[in-house]
Amino acid sequence: MTFISAGDRLEQAVGLAAVLGAAYEAFEGMRWEFRAREDPATRWFAGFVMAAAAAADGRDAVAFAPSMPARPRRGAAESGPGLPARESAERAAGEAAELSRRLAECLTRAAGLASDRGDREACEQACRCAREIFDLLGGAAL
Amino acid sequence: VTGRAVIGDFLDAARGQLGSAAHLRLAAGRGGDLREISHSLLRVVTVMNRYVQDFSAVPRQVPSREPLELATWERASLEARNALTTAAVLLRGDGTSGRSPDMDAGSELARRLDAAWLSLAAGRDLLHTHLTRALSGIVEPRSEWGPVITSRPATRALLAELALLAHQIAPVGASLALPPRTHGTPDARRRLTAACEWLHMLDTSIRTAHQDEPVSVADRELLHAIPVNWLQPRRLPEGTEPVEGLCGGVITAAERARHAAWASASVTGRSPAMSVSSLRQAAAASTLTSHHCEILLRSLSTRTARDGPAELSAGLLVAAEAARGASRSWLSVAHALDDVTTDTQGLSRAATAARDLALWTGRLAYADPHWTLASGPSHEARPPQTLAPQPDDVPGVVAAVHYACDAMTGFAHAGREQVRAGAGVDRILVAAENPPDIWDIPMPYVRAPRERIDAILALYQFTSTASADAAASAADAATVVKATSSVLATARSATDAGRQGGERLASTGSDPSAAGKAREEPGPVGRILHGLGVTSPDLLRRGADIDRVGKQLIIEATAENEPWGRQANPATLGRSIGTAVSDSHARKSGDRRTTLLEGDRVWLLREPPEAEA
Repeated sequence: MTFISAGDRLEQAVGLAAVLGAAYEAFEGMRWEFRAREDPATRWFAGFVMAAAAAADGRDAVAFAPSMPARPRRGAAESGPGLPARESAERAAGEAAELSRRLAECLTRAAGLASDRGDREACEQACRCAREIFDLLGGAAL
Repeated sequence: VTGRAVIGDFLDAARGQLGSAAHLRLAAGRGGDLREISHSLLRVVTVMNRYVQDFSAVPRQVPSREPLELATWERASLEARNALTTAAVLLRGDGTSGRSPDMDAGSELARRLDAAWLSLAAGRDLLHTHLTRALSGIVEPRSEWGPVITSRPATRALLAELALLAHQIAPVGASLALPPRTHGTPDARRRLTAACEWLHMLDTSIRTAHQDEPVSVADRELLHAIPVNWLQPRRLPEGTEPVEGLCGGVITAAERARHAAWASASVTGRSPAMSVSSLRQAAAASTLTSHHCEILLRSLSTRTARDGPAELSAGLLVAAEAARGASRSWLSVAHALDDVTTDTQGLSRAATAARDLALWTGRLAYADPHWTLASGPSHEARPPQTLAPQPDDVPGVVAAVHYACDAMTGFAHAGREQVRAGAGVDRILVAAENPPDIWDIPMPYVRAPRERIDAILALYQFTSTASADAAASAADAATVVKATSSVLATARSATDAGRQGGERLASTGSDPSAAGKAREEPGPVGRILHGLGVTSPDLLRRGADIDRVGKQLIIEATAENEPWGRQANPATLGRSIGTAVSDSHARKSGDRRTTLLEGDRVWLLREPPEAEA
């Protein structure tokens, strides 16, 4: 699943459970991507290291939401690396920034719609994580 | 370095206020009221005695008349305590009239003593900001400096400082023997002279211990560097700081990080402050801080290769490699933490402090004055010639890197302790590999398997070692360039030795068994709990507390009923535990000084032999 398809899935998600499921996959996909690209020799090292932690936090936040749908299994099968390794770090950062921006928007909307306090707090927490990823990698998207 | 007051400021001030022995003799020659001088000296002696009681490693009382086998410095500590107690009793006499602290003394000698007393009292207060006393009477640390204060190196250095003070003051007794301008009763003069003799004995006792097991310069520097337990407020770089300002910012951030890491290591597993989110942030930030330290150390190595000693440049390169290893190790911890979680997500102070330190070290490492963790690809390392334009600039940067590396070591230890605590209460979770077919279960998380926890703990242990290696290499460089941070290595060594050796925290209680929880045998309540099969650490700790308090009560009750336990005046002071110890030692060693102490049975009833002459 690429970042673009993850973003599309987010846009198409209808209802809180679907948004949470799509957000989970998006965060996990980004985490995989960032971890694969952590190289001290590159100039994106700091951004990817910190963004990976934020992506894992975002993934966990939505995972604990009461309305989070069950999922068959967590791992690379559903949310593996988003871009081929030959693609540049700049492009990966840029696409991740864009995805995190869309994530933050979707999660903000979902938090507004959630009637359950646990869902609302999970969406807000995950939204903060998405914004942090955007802040960390946003330079590449601009 | 850190802008905080340190104990050395107060110890130096006290010695300066007393003045040299010549100054004091001169002041004594100018005379004064003996009661006033006695009162001022009593203040000094009392605060010195409190230093010994609070921070030395010997129990006040022992619940048995059996003689103890004490090490050199423990014996010196005990003798110092006896000397100061006796001097205080002598100076108190029949009830020296107290003087309000804000009332100036009439004589120069008393004024000098009063000034020294104030400095010493302030210094003691400073040390106490790092310690607190639990209900059980055990003194516990309130900061990462707490274990340093009660470590052997620091307590020995403190005793040596007290000996220096006693050495300065003791000759005053002889100077006051017959000056024409002093006025007071013969008894007051005799007591003052005797008290000074006891200060002389304290000095001799500690000097003897120093000859047997010397206090090193590093130990003394460690003691002097203990700061007040107050951290500068959180501050982030503005982008206008010169290199010197950035070094100061790194050191301040590292001090805050070090304290936050120390505090987080002791949170309980159930605390909301214990979250994998915090651990992830700390691991990610520590990866970067270590990486920045590597960049800085390489840059310093290049810089010093030009006009510094060859071994310094090579040593900095070794340190850079160690920092690189630490960074990689931290990254492996970050990866391992991806696959576990906790039921809370909040960020701890330690995580924030770790992030701040990564930012400050990044600002120092990179040329871009506005560099942030979110900076994109446009950053280059700061060139060596701008990092340290002059050779004199090198120590400041080395100190900053050393502080940062030392803080990383603290984070590794704290992270390990938190994972261990969280796992102990089943709060470290993993996603269920095979979630049940009941799809309405919202959170398919289960307790992390033991092997997963062990793997994370092992990674933290590797990281702790790697970070300690980096800090040790940075410390070597700090020593070579005489950077002010070199005291950190001594502090780390002192506390590590204490941890490994089960060294006790100083106990101000009377129960010597309270000295070290680690080697404490269970008391009656503890034995019953063990017999019941109780394994809960909390219950066992509460049982041990009850045992300690009970034992202390029995000891105090015993002491009150012993005629030799009363300390109202010298005539009834009697045979103390110190005497028992000295007797034992004297019988075994037969040395002249302890033979003199053999006379404790006599002096406790009368006065020191020298004073009678």
